[in-house]
Amino acid sequence: MHDVTHAKQRRRDLILAAVFVALAACVPLFVKDVYVQNIMVLTLMYAGLSQSWNILGGYCGQISLGHALYFGLGAYVTAILLTKFDVLPWFGMIAGGLISALIALALGYPTFRLGGHYFAIATIVIAEIAYLLFLNWDWAGAALGIDIMVREDSWAKFQFTRSKLPYFYFALFFAAVAWLVTWWLENSKWGYWWRAVKDNPDAAESLGVVVFKSKMGAGAISAFLTAIGGAFYAMFVSYIDPDAVMSFQFSLLISLPAVLGGIGTLWGPVLGAAVLIPVTELTRSFIGGSGRGVDLIVYGSLIVIVSLTRPDGLLGLFSRKRKKEAVR
Amino acid sequence: MTAETIIQSLASGLLMGLLYGLIAVGLSLIFGLMNIVNFAHGEFLMLAMYGAFFLFAFFAIDPLLSMPLVAAGMFVFGAAIYLLIVRFAMRAKTNVGMVQIFATFGLAIVLRGLAQYFFTPDYRSISHSWLGGKTISIGGIFLPVPQLVGAGLAIVAFGALYFFIKRTDFGRALEATREDAGAVALVGIDQNRVFALGWGLGSALVGLAGAIMATFFYIYPDVGASFALIAYVVVALGGFGSVFGAFAGGILVGLVEASTALIMPPSLKAVGIYAVYLLVVFIRPRGLFGSI
Amino acid sequence: MTITRRTVLLGATASAALLPLAARAQTKEVVIGVIYPLSGASAQIGVDAQRAFETAADIINNKYDFDLPLARDEGLPGLGGAKIRLVFADHQADPQKGRAEAERLITQEKVCAIVGTYQSAVAVTVSQICERYQIPFLSADNSSPSLHRRGLKFYFRAAPHDEMFSKAMFDFFDVLKKKGQKIETLSLFHEDTIFGTDSANAQLALAKERGYKVVADIKYRANSPSLTAEVQQLKAANADVLMPSSYTTDGILLVKTMAELGYKPKAIVAQDAGFSEKALYDAVGDKLEGVISRGSFSLDLAKKRPMVGAINEMYKKRSGKDFNDYSSRQFMGLIVMADAINRAKSTDGEKIRQALVATNMPGDHTIMPWKDVKFDAQGQNDDADPVLLQYVNKTFVTIFPPQAAVAEAIWPMK
Repeated sequence: MHDVTHAKQRRRDLILAAVFVALAACVPLFVKDVYVQNIMVLTLMYAGLSQSWNILGGYCGQISLGHALYFGLGAYVTAILLTKFDVLPWFGMIAGGLISALIALALGYPTFRLGGHYFAIATIVIAEIAYLLFLNWDWAGAALGIDIMVREDSWAKFQFTRSKLPYFYFALFFAAVAWLVTWWLENSKWGYWWRAVKDNPDAAESLGVVVFKSKMGAGAISAFLTAIGGAFYAMFVSYIDPDAVMSFQFSLLISLPAVLGGIGTLWGPVLGAAVLIPVTELTRSFIGGSGRGVDLIVYGSLIVIVSLTRPDGLLGLFSRKRKKEAVR
Repeated sequence: MTAETIIQSLASGLLMGLLYGLIAVGLSLIFGLMNIVNFAHGEFLMLAMYGAFFLFAFFAIDPLLSMPLVAAGMFVFGAAIYLLIVRFAMRAKTNVGMVQIFATFGLAIVLRGLAQYFFTPDYRSISHSWLGGKTISIGGIFLPVPQLVGAGLAIVAFGALYFFIKRTDFGRALEATREDAGAVALVGIDQNRVFALGWGLGSALVGLAGAIMATFFYIYPDVGASFALIAYVVVALGGFGSVFGAFAGGILVGLVEASTALIMPPSLKAVGIYAVYLLVVFIRPRGLFGSI
Repeated sequence: MTITRRTVLLGATASAALLPLAARAQTKEVVIGVIYPLSGASAQIGVDAQRAFETAADIINNKYDFDLPLARDEGLPGLGGAKIRLVFADHQADPQKGRAEAERLITQEKVCAIVGTYQSAVAVTVSQICERYQIPFLSADNSSPSLHRRGLKFYFRAAPHDEMFSKAMFDFFDVLKKKGQKIETLSLFHEDTIFGTDSANAQLALAKERGYKVVADIKYRANSPSLTAEVQQLKAANADVLMPSSYTTDGILLVKTMAELGYKPKAIVAQDAGFSEKALYDAVGDKLEGVISRGSFSLDLAKKRPMVGAINEMYKKRSGKDFNDYSSRQFMGLIVMADAINRAKSTDGEKIRQALVATNMPGDHTIMPWKDVKFDAQGQNDDADPVLLQYVNKTFVTIFPPQAAVAEAIWPMK
């Protein structure tokens, strides 16, 4: 009985996602304003990034506050390969993803043994070390960063002077892939283990070794996807420097949508990004010009209020009714 | 590199380290009590520094004298933050860890915004205080008086805190609440009151640090950021929840920072701190003196 | 997008041609975008910049008796007296946000030109976007030399860049040396940002070229909690000149730490930034008697050009501060841009660009000690002569170059 409803639920999720992607793909037909398109691109990018983060942070419960490391690596590998070796960004993207995945495996081995806050601070600190090294690495542009000159529209080079549409569709593709990977993982052997460990800490003992390996795998997948997002960002903004792609602030930004939307859920990151990113952009654009920090107050208050009133994320708004019924 | 440079480096590192410890201990106390990391800790420090600055600017009270006032103000502020915000963050049934991280993170952003709104983004500093700019020289080794006083204050504060937790009723209540909150409620100790007092105490300690720092550091809305990360590392290095750990962690971080700068480009000196943190937790996953 | 703008423009020119009087009567607006950090760590700069731009807009839009382009007219006479309207945007020192704001200003607010940005990293992306939309961008106060060397057609900078500033410092050293001062060794102290890196690279190259020995080249982390280790190395090197490239925060901490560690440099020649900020002198001015900073502005000029003093008063009324190196450059940035729009008689990007290329503003029609404002093929004004200022008795006096100097340099510092 349970399995039947579960399978139904999963099929419903998949159909819902397909509908969303189809609807989103049509939006640019009606919305021509580049500024709004820009916000949509960022929203999709953060949805994808946060979804990638959610695999490790939500499902495995390994709260990483250092994902800027993978994001930055993806951005840097792509930009360096393109500007110094004329390697097309599509290959750079894959290279960045693979390098990040390897690094995630190497780091996962010692860090996954650490508990809660020790793990979180270790991830911050590792990302900070990478940030400082890039800031002092002259060959990689150091503080000057890497400026990617855009001269003409080209799909091969993934560069477009004015049009936001190619970036929009790539970001949509990225978010959809990250969602699909999560959807698939949820129902895999790994997904069952993770749930088992969460629901029943005693199960962790007996599953210890295999769960550790599955976490390593989750870390690598999460890093790979995050790096793809970083590569996309480098091409989208066409300029990167350590502050913009590797700072601690960025690690928080990657995890924030998942937390606000609903951590460890399939739809949380999407919902979180859809709320958070437009709010961030609009508060800055329309009240940030005052120079008095009103935008920060609004943005920060929103985070506090949501995390206090909806601890299970905004997604709780949708499933609340269902839960209430279940309780009764 | 002469012996003098090395001694001077280590001496300065030790003084800075004690101050880091003082900044961090409030964080450690709060964590030990209720398993919460306050991500607005740097902003608490910023507010304390502004407190000392405004008391000096408007009432000409030297930071050394205003220190108790600032600490008292921060006590009230910290307790209020607990009662108004953190208390609710702890009620979460799911993802308690993430909820409190982001509730305090959001609070940090709000506090920065408010500081910018009310205090303006201008850089402030206290130009003439009793301690500011004074320095003692012993055999060619220079020890700045503000940091010296800060270090002494840190030692006294740690000593008092240790005594307080081990020897007083309230301290024992703190310990007991941390061991088993449920049982404590049965005995008739109001958990909320204990937690509020814990937040007050933790914030008062960062208030002390802020008042001393106002004598030699610049003040602006984002000033807390550079100290916050160091404070987290100090606390984790020493072991979450261990007051003595924060003390030792602070000293270690100060010394490592100073010695890294001797052998590496100064722009990478934080790398030394981070590397030592990783080394310690890879060997001892609960930090140097951590038990939880 | 282009189509709509062109139609609007066509319509505007057509109606202007048909009804010159009516066109003049109806107050048209010329919208200029201004992108600065208005929140975050460098918000103070952005807020001060707002006041500087408002002062410039006031002078352009209303009648003032100054020898400054557009001061004596109301609005832009070339566009039928149209008034300038500024739209401010906040980039929070993030290149991505700067880029998004530039795009928003261009497409939504329909600005015809953009001025910015303080942080050089943001200028990189903003200027790229402007290039793509063919809208002129003027760097009011970015000093990174790499900015104008990227082959952009719509990039302009009226003020000097770090290499020009550093060159002035070394020219000054050469002159002192000839007079018999001992200047052989230098200590560089710079932050790990674009500004610090560019500045140090220029100084290292010049030192090598002119035979000065760099005994310490210290790169530090911006906004460090402590600079003790760094200052110790400076003290150990004890060079003839200390050359810091630091912003206000680190500048204050540097000076305090030097005093605490008993290090008194023989001379400090600073790459502006923090060393031209009032906040730094409020904090540690008593320890800085005789410090020298490069600049592109000097209030001394008010003695020769009274309007400089009058405009400074206007700015002071708004901001509570005197013009400094940043606010003066921001002010001039808008004047130069408005002057070009006026001569272009159009708000079309390409026409304004051509007018900017043709700019020839004599130095005495500015508030700066510059020879003139003329742009080279890369959009850089090579005639923006920097000055060196010395902090004596709580004010800055110009000491170099000789044609601008009002006093002899005190060397070594007190």
